[in-house]
Amino acid sequence: MIQLHHVWKVYEVGPIKVTALTDVSLKVGRGEFVCLVGPSGAGKTTLLRLLYRDELPTEGELLVDGHEVATLRRSKIPELRRMIGVVFQDARLLPSRTVFENVAFILQVLGAPRKLIAERAFECLKAVGLAAKAHAFPAQLSQGEQQRVALARALVKEPLLLLADEPTGNLDERMAGEILELLRAAHQRGTTVLLATHRVSLGASVGERRITLHAGQIVADSGSGDGT
Amino acid sequence: MGRSSLVFLATEAARNFRRTGWVGLSAVVLIALSMMALGAFGLLSMNMGRAITQWRERVKIVVYLREEPPPSAAERLMERFRQIEGVGRVRYVSKYEALSRLRAQLGDQSDLVDRLPTNPLPASVEVGPTSEMTTPEGNRVLVEKLAALPEVEEVQGSSEWVDRLAQFRRLLMGIGVGVGTLLVLAATLTVTVSTILVIHSRRQEMEIMRLVGAPESAVWAPLVLQGLFQGLVGALSAVALLAIGYRFLSPRLIPFFTETLGFPQVSFFSWLEILVLIGSGGLLGAVGGFLARGRVSAA
Repeated sequence: MIQLHHVWKVYEVGPIKVTALTDVSLKVGRGEFVCLVGPSGAGKTTLLRLLYRDELPTEGELLVDGHEVATLRRSKIPELRRMIGVVFQDARLLPSRTVFENVAFILQVLGAPRKLIAERAFECLKAVGLAAKAHAFPAQLSQGEQQRVALARALVKEPLLLLADEPTGNLDERMAGEILELLRAAHQRGTTVLLATHRVSLGASVGERRITLHAGQIVADSGSGDGT
Repeated sequence: MGRSSLVFLATEAARNFRRTGWVGLSAVVLIALSMMALGAFGLLSMNMGRAITQWRERVKIVVYLREEPPPSAAERLMERFRQIEGVGRVRYVSKYEALSRLRAQLGDQSDLVDRLPTNPLPASVEVGPTSEMTTPEGNRVLVEKLAALPEVEEVQGSSEWVDRLAQFRRLLMGIGVGVGTLLVLAATLTVTVSTILVIHSRRQEMEIMRLVGAPESAVWAPLVLQGLFQGLVGALSAVALLAIGYRFLSPRLIPFFTETLGFPQVSFFSWLEILVLIGSGGLLGAVGGFLARGRVSAA
């Protein structure tokens, strides 16, 4: 599903060069649940951003489901992103839209039929336990609930790959546990999950496979990805 | 593109328009003003054009004869006139008819004519040029040809004044296009500015749209649609105001124009012209929205 071959990412800020990723190579197979663990600044977010082509690698090769991400034509980026769901530390919900509208919005912009949009959006909200709050606005929800909506939004288009960047970063243990359960459920349904977290304990509790990043380098990998 | 996509794009465009607030509204007003200016000048020019065409058709050259020919010779003379290239209609006016006309023109003072010892008025031929000869150059050539005839004493009449009016019409149209263009530019810029405001307020939405893999057209199409909507509303308002103005002002203006400029009637745009005007407004707005597209990439 994911292949990185000697990937480097160097940010240049004026004369200063900051290396975010150093010669990273890894493989993640289809249907794996991988926990990317490391302290802040380890390069987790950079790695995820490279995968959905928000950033370009400075060097190296990067493949997602067969797409050579670094050389992907601009017009092909939407195609890549359509198979990837992304969840951030902050929920990034649209404040002027209801919970339902936030989730349905994704299918609307992708041009899904109206009937399917309503069905899928409610189904996803039900899966994250928020069907009853479908008509509430984000400001009326707790942080945990907002994060669950963000997860529903990422899953509504049934992505092959789910990238979760510190989705529990702003949540207490109980809420974090709920989010992890939802990620596990998505994984059970066949989605490849890549969870980035700085909480080592969290990584230990959920990951079938744990990759530890430190200062832009992979320092430990509990398993190697099979398949593509 | 499916029906649900179109509904989504239209809904987003309407949502965008609401977000633009007063700036969006002022864009509509500016489009309405520019369309009104262009429409009003267009109406005036169109009516003047029609009048000029009619005047050109009525232009006549009066050829005064040295001597009045006998009735049998008059008909032969008319036939010679008709054979001259550029001569359309021909009418012979005898000395007697000329005097009768003068009498009719003098009205109450027609007895002055009766006091004349002899009829001083010459016989003449009224010549109407063919449509090809109504140009200033054609008119000049025809006058020269007629003046060269041995029976002719003097030739009067030209279409110079009609040409001056045609020039005035062109000047008026130029001013209209100039003013209209300035307003059009201002309106386009206002639509662009209001669209840029929308882009800033929708930054987060656009980010999410791109993140989930929405086609780039789905990101900017609502902006172009919003501009199109503003343009259509502006142009419709302009046409409505012009129609109202025409309805209320034309009964008062027609007698005035008939007296001064000889407009036979003042007419309004045809349905096709109305559609073109409305379409131009829509296009103007859409271009304004499209110009803001560059900012979408930056957002």
